[in-house]
Amino acid sequence: MLLIECPWCGPRAETEFSYGGEAGIFRPADPHALSDAEWADYLFYRSNPRGTHRELWNHAQGCRRWFGVERDTVSYRIKRTYCLSGASGGQPDGSAGGLEAGSGKRR
Amino acid sequence: MSESAPPAGIAIRVRSARGFINLRLNPRNRQALEAAERVLGQQAPLSANTFTGGEHNLYWLGPDEWLIATGAQRASELARELAEALKDFHAAVNDVSGGNVELLVSGANASMVLAKGCPLDLHPRAFAPGQCAQTGLGRAAVLLAAVDPSTYAIVVRRSFARYLRRWLENADSAGVPFRAAGKRQQAGYRSSP
Ligand SMILES: [Zn+2]
Repeated sequence: MLLIECPWCGPRAETEFSYGGEAGIFRPADPHALSDAEWADYLFYRSNPRGTHRELWNHAQGCRRWFGVERDTVSYRIKRTYCLSGASGGQPDGSAGGLEAGSGKRR
Repeated sequence: MSESAPPAGIAIRVRSARGFINLRLNPRNRQALEAAERVLGQQAPLSANTFTGGEHNLYWLGPDEWLIATGAQRASELARELAEALKDFHAAVNDVSGGNVELLVSGANASMVLAKGCPLDLHPRAFAPGQCAQTGLGRAAVLLAAVDPSTYAIVVRRSFARYLRRWLENADSAGVPFRAAGKRQQAGYRSSP
C-alpha cells in the first residue's frame, strides 16, 4: 500500500485514490492542424519512462481533487505531489499552482 | 433505526431530521464567500479537513466545496437563501438532504471500532475534535468528523446507511477485546454465534 500525500488532505492510503495516467498531456489547440500521426501521438502514446514519472492522481474517496505526482516507476517512491495550475482555490498556501500548460514532457 | 447498545459499548444512532446542502464557490472570491457567510451567519472553514459548528455544521469538503448540515426543516429554505445571495457569482448550491444520512458513533472505544475499517490515523493527535475527512469506512465512502474525543459524526449516502450501521455493529461485536495484548484488530468475523 502506498501512502500518497494529497496536496490538500495530507498523507492518505492509496485505496482512497484513482490513477489518471501521465501528467502534462494537453489537448492540441487546433486538432485539424495535426497530421494523423501527430493526433495518434497525442491520443495514444505515452512516455512510459523507467525512473521519474509525472502522473495525475485523483483523491477519489477524499476531496475529489486532481493533482500531480512525481513517482519513481522502479522503486514506486513518490518524490513529490503538487496542485495543478488553474485548480480552483489554488494551492493550499493560497498561491496559484504548479503545472503549466505545455510544460509536460512531449516526445 | 434506533439506539443500540452492543457489547463493546459504542452507541450508534441516526441523527434524525437533518438536512444537507452542498455549497461550491471559490473562496478567493471574497465577495462570494462573504455573501454566503452572511446568509449562514457563520464562517466557512478554509483549512482543509476541518469543520465549524454553530447554527449549522460547516464541513470542508474541498478547496471550493463545503457541506452544510442543518435541521431538516431549515435546509430547503437555507438553500434558497444561499442561491439567491450567490446568484451573481460563479457558485453552486444544492440541497442534498435526500441523499445523505448522519450517524453518531460514541463510546470510549469508538475510534478503535472505526479503525477496523478506516485507513485514517484516528489517534486524537492526528484526528482531533474539529477535524473531518472524507474517507472510506468498511466499503462505504463517508464524511467522518471528530466531534469530541469519544464521539464521531458520519455522513453517508442514504443507500449505504443500513449497510454501514450493520458494519459498525459487527465491527463493535467481533473478535477479541480491543486491549488484548495491544494487538491491532482485524475487521471482521463474529467470534461466537
Ligand atoms: Zn484530498
